[in-house]
Amino acid sequence: MEGHPYGYNIPISEKTKSVPWEEKVRVIEEVKSDFRYEEFLFGCLNCGVCTASCPSNRFFDYSPREIVQRFLEEDIEVLYDMMHEYIWACSQCFTCWIRCPFVNNPGGLVIIMREVAVRNAFEATKDLLKPYGRVLLKVMSTGNQLSADMLQPDFFPDWGPKMLDNMENVRAKRMAVPFDVGKAVKTAWEVSLETAVEMYHIWRETGIFEMLEKLDPNLYNVIMDIVEENEERWEELMEEEEEE
Amino acid sequence: MGHGKSPYLKYADPAPFPILNKHSHYDHLFEEMHELEEKGEILVYRITEENKPVQVYTRTGRIKTIPTAKLWHHKSCGQCGNIPGYPASIFWFMNKFGYDYLNEPHQTSCTAWNYHGSGTSNPVALSAVWLRNMHQAWKTGYYPLIHCGTSFGSYKETREQLIFNKELRDAVKPILKKLGRLTEDGRIVIPQEVVHYSEWVHANRHKIKELYEKEGKAKGIDVSNVRVAIHNACHVWKMMADDYPYDPEVYGGQRPAASTAVVKNLGAQVVDYSTWYDCCGFGFRHILTEREFTRSFALQRKLKVIAEEVKADLIVTHDTGCTTTFEKNQWIGKAHGMYNPVAVMSDVMFSALACGAHPFKVVQLYWNCSNYEPLLEKMGITNWKELRKEWEDTVKHIAALEKEGKYDELMEFFKEYDLYEPYSRTSDGFKRRRSATADMPLFKS
Ligand code: SF4
Ligand code: SF4
Repeated sequence: MEGHPYGYNIPISEKTKSVPWEEKVRVIEEVKSDFRYEEFLFGCLNCGVCTASCPSNRFFDYSPREIVQRFLEEDIEVLYDMMHEYIWACSQCFTCWIRCPFVNNPGGLVIIMREVAVRNAFEATKDLLKPYGRVLLKVMSTGNQLSADMLQPDFFPDWGPKMLDNMENVRAKRMAVPFDVGKAVKTAWEVSLETAVEMYHIWRETGIFEMLEKLDPNLYNVIMDIVEENEERWEELMEEEEEE
Repeated sequence: MGHGKSPYLKYADPAPFPILNKHSHYDHLFEEMHELEEKGEILVYRITEENKPVQVYTRTGRIKTIPTAKLWHHKSCGQCGNIPGYPASIFWFMNKFGYDYLNEPHQTSCTAWNYHGSGTSNPVALSAVWLRNMHQAWKTGYYPLIHCGTSFGSYKETREQLIFNKELRDAVKPILKKLGRLTEDGRIVIPQEVVHYSEWVHANRHKIKELYEKEGKAKGIDVSNVRVAIHNACHVWKMMADDYPYDPEVYGGQRPAASTAVVKNLGAQVVDYSTWYDCCGFGFRHILTEREFTRSFALQRKLKVIAEEVKADLIVTHDTGCTTTFEKNQWIGKAHGMYNPVAVMSDVMFSALACGAHPFKVVQLYWNCSNYEPLLEKMGITNWKELRKEWEDTVKHIAALEKEGKYDELMEFFKEYDLYEPYSRTSDGFKRRRSATADMPLFKS
């Protein structure tokens, strides 16, 4: 049977096989050079406690123990292969972290791997994150990840008939919340312009915009239109206020 | 690395319950925080008497200080966007208890939901977003209260990374400097404690009980027969696990205390089930793009188990994603012969209901897809149909006025109706034209 002798029984993809060895080493080194890596990985008993309590393990071919073991064995081929689809099964619940007798943090290793996968704009990552574009647009341009208008019943028919009720007259319903929360429909709350502009600065300085451009150029353009418009408005306002 | 004493580190003596580790790496964090402050690198934003602090135990027996008043509300995008009754219930209690607070538009989300879901961020960006929000709170003199569990977990983790990694501090400092988000003498502002709203509820559980006795019971509400299954949120208690309340009253200090303690205090029946430790299936990305997983996990590992083992009337949560996952993924169970209807809401929403808050106007159950009606009946809120009609009539009235463009009348209506004047108490007299979201065509709300 093709696969790994120690339990990673997913055949290494042809794509991974065709990537030059040096490139695979470079990517894994990028993961290992993250300052968190040493804080997330110690010894491993191979006890499987992490996998036994992992929610994703119950429904996907996925095991946190496997990830920890591959790192300890420096199994470049398997780790590189995992970085394309395997790691995206993790639910980021950190049950593995609280339960591991060695205080390993497999969920933490996954987040480093995901970050590197995104930074390297792997094709599989691009495809995987396509349906996530709406969320990225919202969070990058407004600083809010979720808003009432994103919960359209058509997108969520499995949430049942009460959803239809919920969304009827949603604007008026939100206005009727008797506190200043949840009143907006297209953002979670009204974000001040200066706050959004500060956040854009953070995205720019920390390479997030650059990361997005590589991941999804179309989405990046839409986001940048909003960003630039807001930045211009802020500058104009500042000028006006100075004149006043 | 600091080994000195820290004014932020206090232990109960003797330990209030059997503990696994008498000390955690958190001790070291507080010592290091103190040392960095002495060196002038950071400013620790302290909890003072003005914040009416209450002390609670954490998992290692450390005493955590929970500020209860003069709070800066760090809202949750998932709650405001999707569960408006969640923050509304928090604000309802704040008003009931007469606590001063600030709810500003000068806040972004923590952006950690996105990070855990898509990996499209990094520790420097997450730190900068956190510290910008914290600096804003510090500037106003109000202490940050974090509504979202993921923000809470992520901020606890980010704080640890910052305190122990000079490189991270060095990377984030120039960004904050450019934003004017350092102190005048160039220090990073870090709060003494990262505090989740559920800890605030926990610290206020006796006051909540008093309110229930006084106002809830006077309305004929009685929760003593309500069977409650507790679901603790992963990012709240599994991330930086030592920094969350534990208490001898709750499973002898062997399980997270917040939420369970307030439900017990109200006199409801906390029922135990075998998969209490499991996550909900939310998965950050999964709830949106791997829905079969979320649904299957929620149905099979939680809803079915809770129904079969304990027949709960209600699942009480303390975070955004879990609440959504459990209440939205019940109906679909019909397709699998696995329909186990149960009410789902957060600790603060249930507490508000018990204390007599309007189920629709305040607790906003219109939004909730779970089977909450039998719970209302069982609690003695038997007039819920009238209350629902009252709410629906209000909504229709507002919708009609808006449709007809009668804005003056609408404003008049809200003058009488609103319990809280919009943005009247921001730190700087926020002007609408300074909104990043209201005027943009794409986000015109
Ligand atoms: S729980 Fe820890 S020690 Fe056990 S297999 Fe998982 S990572 Fe290794
Ligand atoms: S964080 Fe990921 S690997 Fe760890 S238990 Fe949760 S789903 Fe499994």
